[in-house]
Amino acid sequence: MSIEKGKISSQQLLFLIAGFVHGSVLLIDFTVGITEHQTWMVILAGLVITVPVIVSYVALAKRFPGMNLVQINDMVYGRFLGKIISIYYIFFFMMTLSFNIRDVGELYITFLMQDTPFIFLLIVFTATCAFAVAKGVEVLARTSHLFVVTGLFAIISTFILLIDQMDFSNFLPLFELPFIKIFQGIHIVSVIPFGETVVFLMIMGCLNKTEHAVKNTLSGLLVGAVSLFIVAIRNTAVLGRTQTIWTSASFQSIRLINIGTVLTRMDFLIGIAQTILMFLKCSIFLYVTVVAISQLFGLKSYLPLVLPLAGIEVILAATVFQSPVDHATITQNAGIIYSVPLIFVFPPLSLLIAKIRGLPKPERGKGT
Amino acid sequence: MIYLLLIYACIFIINVPGLVKRKEWRELAVFSIFYVIAFALGLMYVLDKPIPSPMKGLQHLIVDILGIEYPQG
Repeated sequence: MSIEKGKISSQQLLFLIAGFVHGSVLLIDFTVGITEHQTWMVILAGLVITVPVIVSYVALAKRFPGMNLVQINDMVYGRFLGKIISIYYIFFFMMTLSFNIRDVGELYITFLMQDTPFIFLLIVFTATCAFAVAKGVEVLARTSHLFVVTGLFAIISTFILLIDQMDFSNFLPLFELPFIKIFQGIHIVSVIPFGETVVFLMIMGCLNKTEHAVKNTLSGLLVGAVSLFIVAIRNTAVLGRTQTIWTSASFQSIRLINIGTVLTRMDFLIGIAQTILMFLKCSIFLYVTVVAISQLFGLKSYLPLVLPLAGIEVILAATVFQSPVDHATITQNAGIIYSVPLIFVFPPLSLLIAKIRGLPKPERGKGT
Repeated sequence: MIYLLLIYACIFIINVPGLVKRKEWRELAVFSIFYVIAFALGLMYVLDKPIPSPMKGLQHLIVDILGIEYPQG
């Protein structure tokens, strides 16, 4: 029995995925430090590599309609191995959620509200996410298009306002970096914004109709990828090679906007848009974490776990890394390596096993 | 410290009476486990006790023990 009773349309799924991927826009800074002016190529390559994997997620969700990832794991791998894999997924959800909550805290501490206690920002943000999660996935899905439009407005408007400061020779020379750096960049991009969409395997079971799920999932992914691409182009064209020395290349490039000394200090715009999109992303992560844990323990409702989980996530976010440098170092290595099986191996493997074993067994087979 | 106690008292009041009233004992048991973990972590943070980071352990396992790492620099 599935925990969530709410239903979402595949069009709402499109906006949820677009907002989710778009919410990682500041995280391309992890890649920028490695791939420098070739980040735009890495984003395109990451997208191309991830698309077949994400199609396998949708195929898996369509094969097991109305079921979430924990139920699928139990059915495909058996109760014992399935539970172990589900615990691995829950660990991934919890860790990624704590990183994203920490990112919001670091964003505010570094750029917007330097004197506010870090833990206070984390508590307020996580409590807001917990409130949204308590309202259910339907509410998040119904409001997701507002988040996506706000984010796109911020990105497109800042891009237009910075056009006069762009120098497209900053993209040259092409193919200058060693292959291993490009590979690491593609690995980061394919895991952090794109591969994290594996969380939607916990949500796709709530789709009311699955006919257009592939088209809408890929459209959502494309909208998110285009946002990342525009930001990568803007940062490289405006900042050039100096983009690697800033804590956040996006903030630095937007601070250069100066239209007749009237339109200046536009970084607040990115701050607002990013907070809204990170709220959507963290709410989705908190939702899938509580639903996965509730499903694992066979509970009737996920609501009692929302606040205790939010409390754990606040402390994890506050203590998981000692500094932004520590955050970047670990994410660029262990952070992207441990999640590879969860993103690239288990879902396609589950689909293959389900096809071979003819899962799920049709109901009428029991009676005949 | 006082804020921590207030927050966790609120969480208790919001969840527990409803669970007891509906006799959802399984939900209450799982809630209690996560509630105790969350409170313990919060208490350690407030008392400034070191909280081990799971990512540090993972980094040690993957990079130092298994030797899987991207070259630096």
